[in-house]
Formats: sequence, structure tokens, C-alpha cells
Amino acid sequence: MEIQDDLKASKDVIQALLKSKKMIRMYPSNNPIYVKTLEDTYARFRDYFDYRDDLVLKIRQNDIIWENEQIYYNAEKEDNLALFFFKDGLRELTFKKGLAADEMEEFLKITAMDFEREVLDDDIVTLLWEKDFQNIQHIADDMVLADEDNYEVNAVEHIEEVTNDPDNILKAYQDAFKEDEALKDVAIIPLSDKDLQHLMKELERDSEDKTKKLVDILFELMYLAESRNDFDDLSVYFMNAVEFSMTQGDIPMTTTILSRLQDVLNDANVDEEIKKYFRKIISFAGSDSIIKLLGEILDAGQELEDKIIEDLVTHLDKNAVAPLMNILGELKSIHARKVVIDALIYIGPKDIMTLSKGLNDSRWYVVRNIIYILRKISDKRAVEFLLKTVRHADIRVRKEVIRALGELGGGGVFQTLRECLEDPEIQVRTAGLRALGTVASEAAKRIIMDRINDKTFKEKDFEEKKEYFEVISHWKDKEVFVFLSETLKKKSFFFGSAKSDEARACAAYGLGLLGNKDAISLLQKFKGENSKLIREFSYTAIKRLEHGQ
Amino acid sequence: MDNKQDRELHKHAKELINQLSVVLRTSQIHDANNIALVSSMSRLVAMINTFVEQENIITLELRGEFFYINEYRIRYSLEYLLNFDFLVREFKKRELGSVVFRNQIKSEDIKTLIRACIAATFSQEPFAALEEKMADVRTISVGRLQKVVEEDSYDVRKMVKKTYFNAVSFTQGVMNKMKAGEKVNIRKAKRVVESMVDQILEEEQMLLGMTAIKDYDEYTYHHSVNVSILSVALGQRLGLNRRLLTELGMVALFHDLGKMEIPNEVLNKPTNFTDDEWKMIRKHPVWGLKAVLKLKKFDDLTIKSAIVAFEHHMNFDLTGYPKVRKPLELELYSRIVSLADQYDAMTSARVYSRVPMSPDKALSIMMERAGTQLDPLLFKFFTNMVGIYPIGTLVLLDSRELGLVCESNQIFPARPRVMIIVDNKGNRIKGATVDLTEKNEREIFLRSISRTMDPNKYKINLAEYLL
Repeated sequence: MEIQDDLKASKDVIQALLKSKKMIRMYPSNNPIYVKTLEDTYARFRDYFDYRDDLVLKIRQNDIIWENEQIYYNAEKEDNLALFFFKDGLRELTFKKGLAADEMEEFLKITAMDFEREVLDDDIVTLLWEKDFQNIQHIADDMVLADEDNYEVNAVEHIEEVTNDPDNILKAYQDAFKEDEALKDVAIIPLSDKDLQHLMKELERDSEDKTKKLVDILFELMYLAESRNDFDDLSVYFMNAVEFSMTQGDIPMTTTILSRLQDVLNDANVDEEIKKYFRKIISFAGSDSIIKLLGEILDAGQELEDKIIEDLVTHLDKNAVAPLMNILGELKSIHARKVVIDALIYIGPKDIMTLSKGLNDSRWYVVRNIIYILRKISDKRAVEFLLKTVRHADIRVRKEVIRALGELGGGGVFQTLRECLEDPEIQVRTAGLRALGTVASEAAKRIIMDRINDKTFKEKDFEEKKEYFEVISHWKDKEVFVFLSETLKKKSFFFGSAKSDEARACAAYGLGLLGNKDAISLLQKFKGENSKLIREFSYTAIKRLEHGQ
Repeated sequence: MDNKQDRELHKHAKELINQLSVVLRTSQIHDANNIALVSSMSRLVAMINTFVEQENIITLELRGEFFYINEYRIRYSLEYLLNFDFLVREFKKRELGSVVFRNQIKSEDIKTLIRACIAATFSQEPFAALEEKMADVRTISVGRLQKVVEEDSYDVRKMVKKTYFNAVSFTQGVMNKMKAGEKVNIRKAKRVVESMVDQILEEEQMLLGMTAIKDYDEYTYHHSVNVSILSVALGQRLGLNRRLLTELGMVALFHDLGKMEIPNEVLNKPTNFTDDEWKMIRKHPVWGLKAVLKLKKFDDLTIKSAIVAFEHHMNFDLTGYPKVRKPLELELYSRIVSLADQYDAMTSARVYSRVPMSPDKALSIMMERAGTQLDPLLFKFFTNMVGIYPIGTLVLLDSRELGLVCESNQIFPARPRVMIIVDNKGNRIKGATVDLTEKNEREIFLRSISRTMDPNKYKINLAEYLL
């Protein structure tokens, strides 16, 4: 074996480590480059182990030494492998011949971590220690741990300052032979299998999450608190507990905290000043940061019962409205958006103004969702905001807002809906028409009937005409019955009689929908009508009336 | 070897060690033809032979407190804890360090090994006797337990001292930093505790010995470290893994952070506390919880540390303080730390008790508290750990020598290692350490403990002997 061969092999390992440190950080584990990097690095180790049984690397600040040879040097602070190991106190690394590929991968993953940027409680030595590798050993200098130079020397000197008085020791010796009060003997009781089973249960129980326990204690502290400072501190701890639970994806824990805080707020014996602190915590639960965490949980794809979210939302305050709207536009999954929409339907009434501001969002789908939410909330205060959205650039939004306006009704709605009936887009006209039907007022009826009576009505497409008659049939009163009957009877002998027949057929259709059996005799007369359309629609309407469909 | 194979091998190795322990234990109860013994032996033979088929040779070796099979350290699991512990003791009793199995073995070979083991127990030179009886068995050979040479022992002692004082220094730094409102380095805290965990796993007695040295002036810092060491040592007995031991060590290290809120003039008051001062002292668990929760963002460790800081003065029977409205079921870590805290506090001069107790007296009082103030099961583990005569106990031997217990004996708790400080003629000496398991040629113990005494009564500074 040539010394130069194993020297070269050790240098190759270092180069492979340097390369893999970068690659593993850059690529996910299923990426071919990641896999290839691992294979190459492992091959370098295998090459080395052809010569030696272990690779011992001495770590210094700027260099790495193997067998008294410098195999790596870098005086820079950046990308310095030696310094990376050295700064946490690592002084020696040993790789043994039995090094397994997965062991090496775990090691490389540790070296790929960015200890400067990532919020980690562990340094490289701790991570190596925790892994407890079979074939990778390390030696660390613990001097970096002492908070004071020479602490040990000074402490030992201090402790040893008190020298033992020989007379005291000899006095002890003399007293030892005197009778004295005997101590109760401590028996060493051997451990039984039952003890062990008991212990196993304890350990199993101990592995459970402790947040609930901490929350219990925090509520105890509430009763032990004596000053404003205590309550200030407590608020912070509760907020941290809420944040931690949400970070862990533990929504029920957050709900439990909020629910218990709500109980305190409902307690008449608790001072109003104290309640302010608890309102602050509830408000925190609805803050941007917490709702963002909720969004992450929802988008993570794990199955969550709707009730879990419902329970949480029940305890949120109105300040959650804006953050919920914010995440609504960012969520990726349909289900997550649906959950947030439901949440806003529940919580929105607490702050319609803020919710309505969502109508100004630049994303059409967010606006449409907000309109949907406002429609579901059914609060007339929303009308003035919705009216401003009727001219939205996106037709999907316009359709939704018209529908909402129809359901909400109110002052300015008629004029807007009437205008919708003139809209160049058929979808908007239909939506407006249906909205008028939903309003179901006399005024709305009048608007529709006037439209049908208008001389331009016959120019509309058949489907649109049909829609008109379908909507007018919602008013199941005598006036509409007469109106439809008269329309059916209204024959045209001039040009455009076909268009006119369309309206008459639709009137027959409307009579069928109206459900008044008095119309049957009239409809019977039109079963023999020349117009096939009228014949068919009359026949269908009779069937509908006879069978009560 | 891939990961799956590795795990498989490790599993078989654990089962093999467990089975050897079962066979040895059974053979001490039943005669050679007993059906239980015969079947457990057959099982052991089958296991060894399966292993040999894969690996050709099996070397089972005891290093420190751990077994290694073919150079692989076999980790403890709670499932086999008692049997592993038993086998460690049995190996040590016979100075047996390794057993090597070559080729396919037969039941007869194992029978010979077991018979040799039993016979060696009664020999003055147990390993020599064992080796002699195994001489004719070609498939099994035995090796002597490697003892730590004096020089190594000196180095280890130096390392243990360094670990201990690093921890004290760090704890002092934590408290000073927190008082000054500065950030505490949790990464460093972990490293400190990891070092302690390593020492507990490898040199438990030496590190436990350090806890016997009390520095009243720096009591709070020493106490925090001592409680951490005692807790980790107890945790190890409970079968906690290294990660959990570190966690336990951390929560124990931070258990008394609330004390930094108490003015030094109160903590160091030479006279009894007033009611108001007691009231203040009783608030330190709440202050401790707050201090911990301010250390860093919430995570599992912060939460556990805060709970332990809050609960460490609550008793097993839910008495103690702070008083709470709804009884809280105490956490396992809280009960462990509470035990370690009481023991270290009782054996130190501190605010609650100006006169420290001797270790054995403290243990005796704690025994009375087991089941009320203290968790009885954990106390059982604790006494198994510190022994009847904990390190630092002043003992009079039947040889009319006076000494200090410097190392407990896990196998024979009544026979620790003792450092003689006064010889049988009443002369003060220092340094000679005797093992109370030593016997004369008539198989009679050379020395036994006659009685224990309180080293504090005679102002004996243990540091002179144990450091």
C-alpha cells in the first residue's frame, strides 16, 4: 500500500463531503442528483476503507488533518468545512469501516443544515450525539460550554479552601464507638415485573403532549395572580400556548383554551379589568399570524372533521374576519376554502363592514366568495356594498352579486335589477330576472310583467322568454294566472307570429308551473293549436297540472 | 449492511442477550433437568446457531454497563431491562468480560458454560475458575472483564470533574443572564446536559460522587446541577433513552430558576425565615415556571421544563405547594425531579435546613415519605441507584477503620467501596480505597460496615477526599 493512495482517498472523501453538503441542501431526497451525490460520496468512503479501517479527521479552525497531513484548508469564513465543524467544539471525527449508507446519509443531512439561519436548538455536536451513530464517532471540546474561564480551577480551589480539621475527624472516630441513635435501615427492594409494567404504563402516558397540562397550570396561575404584571405575563403565555398548539396542528387545544377563557369572560365575579387581558388573548387567536397557521393546517391535506373548525370559529372574535379573508385568496385546496367560507359565514355578522371590504379584492374569486358569504349571512347592511360590485369586470362576480341582491332585497335593489335585465350578457339578464323572482314582491312582479308585455319581448331568445315565464310563475296569485292565460290566448296574424307563438308556449309552460288546475280547460283548447310548440307546451302543462308535479 | 438488516440483527442480538440472562437466572433456581431450564437452553442454542450461520462468530462483550455483539453496542430497551441488568451483574460478579461462540454449538456446550458460571460464583478467583471449566469446550471461549487502569481512571475523573464544573458554571451563567434580561443559549444547555448523560451512562458513580460535594456559597448552581445529575441517573434506571435523558436533565437543570427572584439576603439568611419570607420562598415554583416560559418560544422542552418548575414542590399525595384549585396529576419528570431535589437538598446546607443530613439519614427519611410525599415506585428505583450507603456516607467498619463511601455497589448494596480516612489505630490517613466485597482465604469478608455517621456533624469536607 502506498501512503499516497490512502492520502488521496482521504482527500477525496473531504471533497465528496463538501460537494454533498451543498447538494443535499439543494435537492429533495427523491431527486436523481441527490441520489447520485450520496452514491458518489459513499463510493469515496469505500475507496478509503480499501486502505484503512477507520478515517480519523482532526478538526482545526481552518484545516482538517489526517495522519498529520493537512487534507483541507480554507481561511475564509464562508463555506469553510473545518470552521463549520470547529465552531461548535467538534475536534475529531472518526468514520469506521462498517459505515452504512444510511448512516452516512444521516450524517450528511446534519452537515447540510444551516445552523446560522435556521432556528435550531441543537448544534452539530448535539445532532451527532443524538444520532448516536455506530460507525461515526466524534470528540468535542466542552470548554466552549463553561461560562467563565478557569471556572473549574477556581471552584475546586474554593471548595478545597475549607480544610478538614484533624481533631474533628479524630473526634468522629472516637464517637463512632459510642452508642447512638440508630437509623432506620433503608432496604433495597428488588424490582419486580409488576413494577416494570407499572413503569411502562407511566412512560407511555408520559409520552403524551403536555400542552393541556401547561394550560391547566396557566388557569391555576390566573387565580394566583396578584398584579397587572402577572396578568400581562399570563396573557403572553396563553398567546404562546395558542400559537404553539396551532403550530402543532392542534386546533382542538386552541379551542379548549379559548372556550375556557370564554367561561372566565362569562363569569360575573371576574373583574372587568382582568377580563380585558383575556379578550386580548381571544383577539390574538384571530390575528393574522394564527389564522395563517390555520390556513397551513387546512391546506396540509390532513382530514379534519368540520366540527373541529366550527368549534374553533365559535370562539373567534370579529378581528378574525380580515385574516380569514386574507387566507381565503391564498388557500390551495377547495375544501380548505369551503371551510374558511363557512367560518366567515359564521363570524362575518360580527363585522359586516370589514367583510364587505373584501369586495374590493383584486382577485375575482375572492370577491365572488365574499358575495356568497354576504348572501348567506343575509344582512341587509351588505346591500350598499354589493350594489357597488354589480359592475364588476368579471361576469362570474356579477352573476353572484345579482343573486345576492335578489335574496337580500331592499331599496336600491330594484333599479339595479331592472338595469340588469338590459345587460348585453344573457347570463346577467337571467341572473337579474331570477333575482327579481327571489325578491318576490309586487314591484318585482310588475317589472317582469311589464317586460313580457313590452313589444321588444318577442325578440328575445326562446330560452330567455321561457325563463321570464318560469320566474313569473313564482307568484301564484290570480293576477299572474290571468296574465298567463291572456298571453296564451293572444294570437298574432302578422309577421313574426312564430316569435309570438314562443311567448304563448312559454305562457302555457308558466300555467303548468303555477299549479292552478283551473288552467286545464284553457290549455285543453290549445292542444290542437297549429303551432307545434304551443301544442307540446300545453300538453306538458296539462300533464303537470293533472299529476301535480 | 442495510438498515433493515441492521435492525433485524439488533433485534436478534437483544433477544439473544435476554435469553442468556433467562437461562442463567433459571439455572440458579432449578436443577439441570428441569423442563423450564432445558427448554430455555434449547431456545438459546437455536438462537446462537442461527446467529452463527449469518455471522460465523458471535462475540458477546461487556464494556462498562453495555453489551456489545460483534462490536455493535446493543441498546437497552425497557422490555428487557431487568434481564439485561441481571446479566451485567452476573458477568461482573464473575469478572467475565466476553463470551465468544464459534461454529454450531450443542446443548452440552451451553450446559457446561452455565455450570461453569454457577461454580465460579463460589470461587475466590471467579474468572479463573470459569475459564478453567470452559477449557475443553471448543465452540465457546470466555474473556476476562477489562478493568480500567489507574491512569485511565485518573483521566476519567478529570473529565467527570470538568463536566461537572462546566455545568455549574453554565448554570450560574444562565441565572446571571436571565437576571440581566439577556438571552440564554439553549444549544449550550443541551451540550452541558449531553455531557452529563454520557458520564452517567459510562461513569455513573464518579458523577454521582460529584453531587456529594457541596458548596454552600454556590448552593443554587450546584444544587441545580446535582438535581440534574441525580434525575438523569434515575432516568437511566427507568430505561429512558439518551434523548429523553437529555430532556430530563434539561428540565431538572432549570427546575429552580424561580429562586433567582429571591433576594440573596433572604436565601442566605443565617436565622429562621419570617412568615413573609416563607411566603416568598413558596412562590419560587411559580416564578420558575414564568422564567422558563420566558427563556424561548414554546416547544415541548419549554413546556415540560415549565411544568416541572411549577410542580417540583408538589407531593405525590398532592399536598405541598403551590396550592392549586383543581388537583393536578403530577408528571413523571416532576416526580423524578422532586425526589432528586429532596435528596440533594436534605444532604446540603441550604435555606430549608441549615444543617445538612448524612446521605443515609436523608434516604431513611425519604423512605418514610415514599407513598405520601414521594412516588414509592420511583423511590424504589432511586434506592437501587444510590444504594443503602450513598456516596459521601461516613462509615465505621468492623475493622475499626473510619471511611467515606466513594462508590456504591450495584450488586451488593451493603458492600460499597470505601475510602479510609482513619485507620484501625486511630491515625488519620487519606487515599486508600477498599472494596467491601473483598474476602479472606476463609471466604469471610475482610470488612463490613458497623454503623454510619454524619460527616456534617464533624464538618468533614468531602471535597478533600472525593474531588
